[in-house]
Amino acid sequence: MERHAFRAMGTEVEALLDAAPGPDALLALASVEAAFERLEALLSRFRPESELSRLNAEGSIEPGDDLLAVVRLALAAREYTAGRFDPTLHDALVAAGYDRSFEALEHSGPVDPPSRPVRGGGRLWVRGRRLELEPGVHLDLGGIGKGYAVDRAVELLAPLGPALVNAGGDLAVSGIPAGGLWPVAVELPAGSITLGLAQGALATSGKDRRRWRVGGEDRHHLIDPRTGRPAESDLLTVTVAGRNAVEAEVWAKALFLAGTDAAAAEAEARGLPALFVSADGRTRTAGGLT
Amino acid sequence: MTDHVARLYAAALALVAFFLTWAAIAARPWAPEATESPQLAALERREQRLRRESALVQRKVERRFAVYHTRLAEREREIAAAQTAPAPSAPAPAAPSVGVVSVPPVTSTRSS
Repeated sequence: MERHAFRAMGTEVEALLDAAPGPDALLALASVEAAFERLEALLSRFRPESELSRLNAEGSIEPGDDLLAVVRLALAAREYTAGRFDPTLHDALVAAGYDRSFEALEHSGPVDPPSRPVRGGGRLWVRGRRLELEPGVHLDLGGIGKGYAVDRAVELLAPLGPALVNAGGDLAVSGIPAGGLWPVAVELPAGSITLGLAQGALATSGKDRRRWRVGGEDRHHLIDPRTGRPAESDLLTVTVAGRNAVEAEVWAKALFLAGTDAAAAEAEARGLPALFVSADGRTRTAGGLT
Repeated sequence: MTDHVARLYAAALALVAFFLTWAAIAARPWAPEATESPQLAALERREQRLRRESALVQRKVERRFAVYHTRLAEREREIAAAQTAPAPSAPAPAAPSVGVVSVPPVTSTRSS
């Protein structure tokens, strides 16, 4: 098993390729890193020169294929999650104090008191190849952008053999490795649980990481579009299996907002294999995950 | 011709002479010919300029209204299409190709 690890999009990225060592494998693994760097340069809201930052600043641009694709995926996700996934929460995240990369946030100490929260539901339009934002609307594509990068990366490795790409919460596989499954440990507050993944992707969202304190109050990055504030959920984390990392990422976020019982019921109804960890540490599975 | 008739002719002639004199005086032939005042000329120029600008503004308003109507029609078509299109449905759920196993993991994941 060939392995390549690097840092991108504010997290550790790991690419595994079940292929004989050689220049092709090395080149493919290097191309994964290059793909992440390229997509981060386009999709990061923390890079002023990124295409996303330009869209947020100018309100209307004709972006390249990747930003266009991610925005289309995000709009579709907002529709099929009935607004629980929302790409227009940029200002709400900033208002909650998440106004710089999390690495910078961790090293900068307490953030300023948040300004007024901004609810989701901002309007944007895709007119041909042009993206247009309603005045005052700004996009954050952090989670879905990472999922998109994972999906693209695993596609790069797929021709060379079974592959897995894991980017801090978003993970996708392609092909069946020699062992028959991809065993992946999902970290729990105490220990871990190992899931065997044959195809598709896993995504975990939660409030156990990417959290900070403002005025003695805990904040985290999972914003409820209905309130514009960090979601108040009895869940600590949600892990969802999907056909691809984007889909898994979207549902992990959407189910997190619902709370344990409603999320488990929805996962069952939709047939979404899911693992829920509640704030008190209890775990629960749904959607056919056993 | 009697004196009476002569006096009548004299009175008529005097009346005609009176009206002719009145008309001549009313025509004021001694008054200097009216010259155009500079203020009046300036006002006329200003009026002409305002008329031109008004026409320009009117053409601009008409053009913008045309663009607005085009966009409005486009937006109404989009709204109508969205209202008649079937509600977006969730993507087909992933096949349950995942389960809890008890083999050593090749990697680990956590919340993002």
